[in-house]
Amino acid sequence: MRYRNATAYRFLTPYLLIFAVFWIWPIISSFLISFQATRTVPWRFAPTFNWGRLIGDSAFFNALKNTLLILVIQVPVMISLAIVMAVLLNSPLLKARGLYRFAFFAPVVVGEVAYSAVFRLMFSLDFGIVNKLLNSVGLPKVDWFSNVTPAMALIMIAVTWRWAGYNAIIILAGLQSIPEDVYEAATLDRVSKVKQFFHITLPLLKPVIVFCAVLSIIGTMQLFTEPFLITERGGPGGGTETLGLLLYRQGFRSLNFGYASAIAYTMAGLAIAITLVQLWLTREPK
Amino acid sequence: MAAVTLTNVVKRFGSFEVVHGADIDIADGEFVVFVGPSGCGKSTLLRMIAGLEDISGGKIAIGGKVVNDVEPADRGIAMVFQSYALYPHMTVEQNLSFGLRMNGNPKADTERRVKRAAEILCIDELMQRRPKQLSGGQRQRVAIGRAIVREPQVFLFDEPLSNLDAELRVQMRVEISRLHKELGVTMVYVTHDQTEAMTLADRIVVLKGGNVEQIGAPLDLYDDPANRFVAGFIGSPKMNFITAKVVETSNSAATVELINHGGARLRKPLCKALPAVGAEVVLGVRPEHFFEVGEGDCDIPVKADVAEHLGSVSYVYANAGAEELIVEREAARQRASGDHFTVSIKAERALLFDKTGARIR
Ligand SMILES: Nc1ncnc2c1ncn2[C@@H]1O[C@H](COP(=O)(O)OP(=O)(O)OP(=O)(O)O)[C@@H](O)[C@H]1O
Ligand SMILES: [Mg+2]
Repeated sequence: MRYRNATAYRFLTPYLLIFAVFWIWPIISSFLISFQATRTVPWRFAPTFNWGRLIGDSAFFNALKNTLLILVIQVPVMISLAIVMAVLLNSPLLKARGLYRFAFFAPVVVGEVAYSAVFRLMFSLDFGIVNKLLNSVGLPKVDWFSNVTPAMALIMIAVTWRWAGYNAIIILAGLQSIPEDVYEAATLDRVSKVKQFFHITLPLLKPVIVFCAVLSIIGTMQLFTEPFLITERGGPGGGTETLGLLLYRQGFRSLNFGYASAIAYTMAGLAIAITLVQLWLTREPK
Repeated sequence: MAAVTLTNVVKRFGSFEVVHGADIDIADGEFVVFVGPSGCGKSTLLRMIAGLEDISGGKIAIGGKVVNDVEPADRGIAMVFQSYALYPHMTVEQNLSFGLRMNGNPKADTERRVKRAAEILCIDELMQRRPKQLSGGQRQRVAIGRAIVREPQVFLFDEPLSNLDAELRVQMRVEISRLHKELGVTMVYVTHDQTEAMTLADRIVVLKGGNVEQIGAPLDLYDDPANRFVAGFIGSPKMNFITAKVVETSNSAATVELINHGGARLRKPLCKALPAVGAEVVLGVRPEHFFEVGEGDCDIPVKADVAEHLGSVSYVYANAGAEELIVEREAARQRASGDHFTVSIKAERALLFDKTGARIR
């Protein structure tokens, strides 16, 4: 038995080595770095240097506020949209289901840079199709890139476009695992389709929805691509700067690794805390 | 309470017809069992009565009112599904009351109905549990309870016992029978198990390939089947079918020769048209209708292959000519494998079928 295990571990060694060097070590190392002043040569140990700065840093609180704002608005909207999409996909009336499923999933596999570029074009002030459409229904043009509120909205729209279909496919799998006869029993009980949705479908989908929400929360906590590429590094004037962007700026523009590590740990800690609260709120009643 | 009448009911899935014009009259308060092999359309018929499947042709009436275009919930029926179809996220109590709550039924009345159902089925103890925390038999009770709570005119059961073990099945069978007496409502019950059909039914509807083969009381089907299919389906172990040929007809009787049994002959009195001489026929004899030598009208020697001793009776799987026969013996007369013995057939206990399987009476 022991010998068998030893063989297995020998086969696993290459993976475990790589995992240790590129995952475990950075995690430990960045934790240690967060307690060092890294703008001096050589680095010196100063436990309160970065963490103290974090508590008083208005740039950090700005990024935190933006990230949480996106989280609180975008995640619920996207999950709701994904549920609606999944229910429509699951409808027996739908023709060409495979095509829709592909179309919903496609945004995930589109390259980030390409998708961001297309969004910039679509939302551009004078040439963008979005403003043309707004004009054509009599609404004023919106300057998506130079005002904070529209810029935040744009980020949320983009993220939602990219990930709603992905979540819809996961929720669809959950929908399809609900047995048909439960709905038949409800039909015999004179429960309307709408009530069936709220009293049967949603409660039975809860585990899947929680799963999607947790994934989305973790994703949004790390949000980087969209504010970096679409609103040009958190513009206008830091109005869409997220924790991910702040970390990037501190770590890789200012080369302040200690402070960046402290931010990274804050992001991870927050993601874990929010997820735990979420799991606790939606736990199965005993 | 209500009678259920099916008139020339047809069901098609696309162009594929699965029920070919069923005529079934179910009286008010009757317990009727649909029985037949897998895929014969039992569930489809039941689901059409429930309104879960459209009716492609013909009419279904419940309590004298044609319900072809009536919503399932308005037909006065309740259905118990094979898979129970309980709401997994609700407690037993919520499962029972869900339909009533959703329809704004007065709270006191809902509570009364749930309480009554729980008492009838002895599930008071389980009210706060979820389906996951129940055994198969308990889930079955809850499923039946949910039907009782609706206070329907007609109960529909689709193979409700098929997921239970043998012992529990017998117990629930008795309980469903008791329930029928207590509530006095019409029940339509689907099963492919002929024992269940025989023990529960006031009348049995035997189906095969989407056709009604015969409708009748259990013992009528047993004693007087309309054709070879019904004869073979009802009764356990199955009826034996012995190949024979008509060698002589006279005086409203036909004499047949059992071709695989050394020319043994049986004279069978008949009351309807006599078959032609030389016609191939089949003689049906139930395992319990083989008699001791000399007691019957025709003796055939057999050799025991395997003997199963069940205590009160034994079944001997015997080889006779090219045919396998199942012979029931009283325990005292049991045989060991390899024994040679002779059994006797009584003309009045043998049924004659023509080549197509129709009964020759
Ligand atoms: N939705 C459907 N679409 C097409 N064919 C169907 C459908 N439902 C049932 N059938 C066909 O109709 C026939 C009867 O099916 P049904 O379910 O009524 O059989 P059953 O007698 O209940 O069998 P079992 O004992 O296996 O439950 C079968 O040949 C089946 O393949
Ligand atoms: Mg069936």
